[in-house]
Amino acid sequence: MDGKETFWEALKRHGVSRREFMKFSAIITGLMGLPPAFIPKVVEAMETKPRVPVIWVHGLECTCCSESFIRSATPLASDVLLTMISLEYDDTLSAAAGEALEKHKEDIMKKYHGEYILAVEGNPPLGDDGMYCVVGGKPFLEGLKKAAEGAKAVIAWGSCASWGCVQAAKPNPTTAVPIHKVITDKPIVKIPGCPPIPEVMTGTIMYTVLFGKLPPLDSQGRPKMFYGNRIHDTCYRRPFFNEGMFVEQFDDEGAKKGWCLYKMGCRGPTTYNSCGNLRWYNGLSYPIQSGHGCIGCSADGFWDNGNFYSREQNIPSIGTESNANKVGAVAVGAAAAGAIAHGVISKIRSGKKED
Amino acid sequence: MSSRVVIDPVSRIEGHLRLEIEVDESSHKVTNAVSAGTMWRGIELIVKNRDPREVWAFTQRICGVCTTIHALASVRNIEDALDIEIPKNANYIRNIMLGTLYAHDHLVHFYHLHALDWVSPLEAIKADPVATAALQNQILQTYGGIISLYTDFLGGNAYPRKFPKATPGYFKTFQDKIKNLVQSGQLGIFAANWWDHPDYKMLPPEVHLIAVSHYLNMLDVQRELVIPHVVFGGKNPHPHYIVGGMNCSISMNDMNAPINMERLAVVEDAVYTQAEAANLFYLIDLLAIGQIYVQKGWTYGGGLSKERVLGYGDYPDEPYKSIKNGDYHQKILYHSNGVVENFAQGVDKAKYYPLTNKDLTDPDVIQEWVTHSWYQYPNNNEGLHPWNGITDPYYTGPKEGTKTHWKYLNENGKYSWIKSPRWKNLPAEVGPLARYMIVYTAVKQGHIKPSWMDEMVVNQIELVSKLLNLPPHVWMPTTVGRTAARALECQLGANASNYFLKKLYDNIKAGDTSVANMEKWEPSTWPSQAKGVGISEAPRGALGHWCIIKDGKIENYQAVVPTTWNGSPRDEKGQQGAFERSMQDTIVLIAKEPLEILRSIHSFDPCLACSTHVYNTQKEEVVSFKIGGACYE
Repeated sequence: MDGKETFWEALKRHGVSRREFMKFSAIITGLMGLPPAFIPKVVEAMETKPRVPVIWVHGLECTCCSESFIRSATPLASDVLLTMISLEYDDTLSAAAGEALEKHKEDIMKKYHGEYILAVEGNPPLGDDGMYCVVGGKPFLEGLKKAAEGAKAVIAWGSCASWGCVQAAKPNPTTAVPIHKVITDKPIVKIPGCPPIPEVMTGTIMYTVLFGKLPPLDSQGRPKMFYGNRIHDTCYRRPFFNEGMFVEQFDDEGAKKGWCLYKMGCRGPTTYNSCGNLRWYNGLSYPIQSGHGCIGCSADGFWDNGNFYSREQNIPSIGTESNANKVGAVAVGAAAAGAIAHGVISKIRSGKKED
Repeated sequence: MSSRVVIDPVSRIEGHLRLEIEVDESSHKVTNAVSAGTMWRGIELIVKNRDPREVWAFTQRICGVCTTIHALASVRNIEDALDIEIPKNANYIRNIMLGTLYAHDHLVHFYHLHALDWVSPLEAIKADPVATAALQNQILQTYGGIISLYTDFLGGNAYPRKFPKATPGYFKTFQDKIKNLVQSGQLGIFAANWWDHPDYKMLPPEVHLIAVSHYLNMLDVQRELVIPHVVFGGKNPHPHYIVGGMNCSISMNDMNAPINMERLAVVEDAVYTQAEAANLFYLIDLLAIGQIYVQKGWTYGGGLSKERVLGYGDYPDEPYKSIKNGDYHQKILYHSNGVVENFAQGVDKAKYYPLTNKDLTDPDVIQEWVTHSWYQYPNNNEGLHPWNGITDPYYTGPKEGTKTHWKYLNENGKYSWIKSPRWKNLPAEVGPLARYMIVYTAVKQGHIKPSWMDEMVVNQIELVSKLLNLPPHVWMPTTVGRTAARALECQLGANASNYFLKKLYDNIKAGDTSVANMEKWEPSTWPSQAKGVGISEAPRGALGHWCIIKDGKIENYQAVVPTTWNGSPRDEKGQQGAFERSMQDTIVLIAKEPLEILRSIHSFDPCLACSTHVYNTQKEEVVSFKIGGACYE
C-alpha cells in the first residue's frame, strides 16, 4: 500500500468497527477543540488522508517530551504510532541503530520529500561549531537543517525546541538556540512545555495529519486551541484568588484547603497552556492541584524570569478575555491593579503584614 | 582480520551515545571498545548563583526518562547542607515516588528500549496463536512462583485486572496488528533493524509473539504505573518537589486538598497496577526469554561487574537528620551502600566494603577525572572530589575525520563529553545489577542485618538461580543478569510503593498530616556557608549531587550520575568504564551487525543527557567570556 492507506482503512485493518470509528472521530474532534459540527469533516479527513511519515530528531534535551508523548491517553500513544502516523525515525523508539537507522532516515527524506513532518525534540547548540551535540559523527545542527529541507512542516516539541529551555538558561554554556533560529523557511508549530501535556502533543499531530495543515497558531507559533488561555484563567483555585484566600506558606491551613498559590510564586497568571482545563493524565491533576505553584514551564525564558518562589509582582490583567499575543509580549511588567486589590483583601483576612 | 565498526547513534536510549568497536572476525572477539557521550549541556554551570530552593527544578531536567530522581537527589542535597529534617509523610511519599519510578522506568526500559534486541516482530508473525496461548500458560506455571516474593503490606489484594490474557484471541489480535503493519510497507519504529540476524532465530515464534504483544500492551499500561507522581507531584515527567518536604498537603476533611481520601485511592489503584505489571508480565517474560538465552550459553557482557560494583543505598524507612553526618545510612532499607569486588569468583570469595557518609565527603574516595574527556583541569592528571569539581569544556576533535565530521574517535586522547568518576582511583559499575550483588554479598557474608527489602533481594536471586540451575556468580555478571536484576528490582520497587503507602496510611490515621518542614524556608535562617551531599539510587545506579551554598546562593554544584560511572571513558591509567568493559566481554557474530553489542549496552539502560558537569569559581570568567559574544536570546 506504500503509505497511501487512509486512517479509516488502517483502523479497519485493526478490527475497528464503523461505530467505534465514528465514536473515536467524535472524541478527537472535541480534543482538538472543534465543535460537533466538525465531526463530519474529521470523518471525511480520516477516510481520505494517508498515514503521514514522521521523522523525530533529538538535539540537546532530556527526552521528557518523548516520555510525555507515550503517556497520552486520548488518543493512546500506541494508536498514534501504529495507526495514525508512521514514525520512521526516532532515537528513542526506533528499533534500528547506527548506520542502518541513518540510511533509513535518508531514504524516507527522499521518498517522501515535501510530505513528511519533522518533529524536533531539544535544540541545537551553536558553541564549538555545534560539537556539544553530535549525532552520527556530525553536528546535530547539520542533520537538523538537512531534515528540515524536505519537510512539509516542523513541530517544535517542548520548551527546548520552542524557546531554548534549561540549557539555554543563563549563562547558556553551549549557546543553545530554539529551532526557529536555524530553520527559517518552513512553517513551525511550537508546542512548549517542559514537557508539553501528552494530549496537547497527540492532539496537534492529529490535527496536522487529519487536515493536512498546521492548526491555527497565535503570533508566537503555538496552536490557539491549546495555548489560548493562561493557566490562571481556568485554574480550579481561581475562586480563592478572587476571594483573596491565599496559601501563605507550604503546608499551612490554606494549603490543606486548596487555596490560591499565587503568593508562593505561582506563574499561572502569566503562563499560556492547557494545564488548567485539560490537566495531566486525562484530567487527573496538574502542578497547582498537587500544591505547587506553576513554574511557567511553557513560557519563553521561564528559567530566568525570577525565582520560582518569589511572588509574581505583576499580573498582566485579571480578565480572561485579554489577548494572548498582547499579554505574552508584555508578560512581565504590566499593571497589577487586580492583584494589588486582592492582596489587600488577603491582608485583611489573614491579619498578617503584607510583604 | 580486525575492522573498526561504528554504531552512532545508539537508539532506544536517552541522549546521544556513540560506540566504536574492533572485532577479530575469526574469533568474533572484541579487541577494542570505545564509548563516547556525544552531548554536553552544562546544567551545573547554569545553577550557579541561583536560589538553592529552586535548583531541584533545573537538575531534574538532567533527565526526563528517570524523571524525578535528580529532583530527589537535589532536595536531599540542599536539606543536607541546611540541616533540614523532613516530616514522616514527606519521607513516605518520596519513597512511594521512588518505588513508582523503579516500577515504571524498568518496565519501559525492558519492553520499549530493550526487548527488540531479543525478540522480533517479524518472527512473531510466524507464530500460531493457539500454541502461543498454550505456551503463555505453561510459562506462567513455570515462573509464576516469583509472584509469591511480593508482599502485599496493604492487604488489599486487588483483583488482577490486567492478567495476561493467555488466550488465542488475545494473541491473534496483536499478531494481526503486527502483520498489518508489516504488510502496509510502513514499518515505522520497527524499520531498518537487523531482523535477519541469526540470534532472532534462537527463540520459537511463539515466544516472539508473547513478547511483542506485551510490548504493545505495556505501551498502553505503562502510563498507569506512574500515576502516583501525577497525584503527589502534579505531573509526569518532572513532578514537583520542595526543599523541606513535599508540596502535596494532606487533609481528610477537604476535597480541595492536594491529598485526600479520593486521591489516595487513585494512588493505591496505581500501586496495584505496578505490582501486576511487574509480577505477571515483566518478570514472567524476562525469565522465559532469559532462560533460553542462558541455556544457549549466552553469558557474555559482564565486564566490569565481574570485578567491581558500587552503590549508595536508598529508601530511608524513617526521616533522617543528615546524610553527611551519617543518619541516612542508619535509616535505609535498601543496603546497596557498598563496593563489591570479584563477585564472579563466587559470593564467598567476593570482597565487600561498606560505603557510608565518610566516603561521600572524603576528598580522596570519589573523584572525577578528565584525562580522556573533553574538559580540562588545572592539572589534567589529577582527580577532583565533586565539592571541588571544575567544568571547563575543551573539545579536541577525532582521530580520523575532521573536527565536525568524525570517522573514528581518538581513545588515546580526549574522546567523550563524559568524565571518569572513580572510587579510590578505580572504576566501578553501578545500577540494579550492582545493587543486587552488593546486597546479596552483604547478607550472605553477614555484614548487615537484612531489612525486608534486602531479604526480598536475596530470595529473588535464589529463586532465579534455582530456575536457571546456575549459581548467582555465573548468571549475574552477564548481559542477561543485568537485564534480569532490573526486572527483579521492578518488583522490589512496586513492593516499596505498597509498603510506604501502608506507612503513609498508618501515620495519617495516627493524626499526623504534616508534609513539609518550613522552619528553614527563608534564606535569612541559613548559615553564610554550607555544604551538602544528596544521594539516591536512581534506576540506572548510584546518583550523587554535591553542593556548596554561599550567602544564600549556589556557589558550586556537581552531579555525579550513574551513566557517568558506567559510560566513562578511560582514565589516566587507561582503566575503562563499564560500557567499554562489557563490550570487550561480548562475542560478536557478524561484525557489521553487532546486535550483541547493542544488547549489552542497552542492558545498562544508558542515559546520556546526564553527561553534564561542574563549575568552579576560578573558571567563571573563562566560561562566560567564551560564550559572552554569541549569546542568543
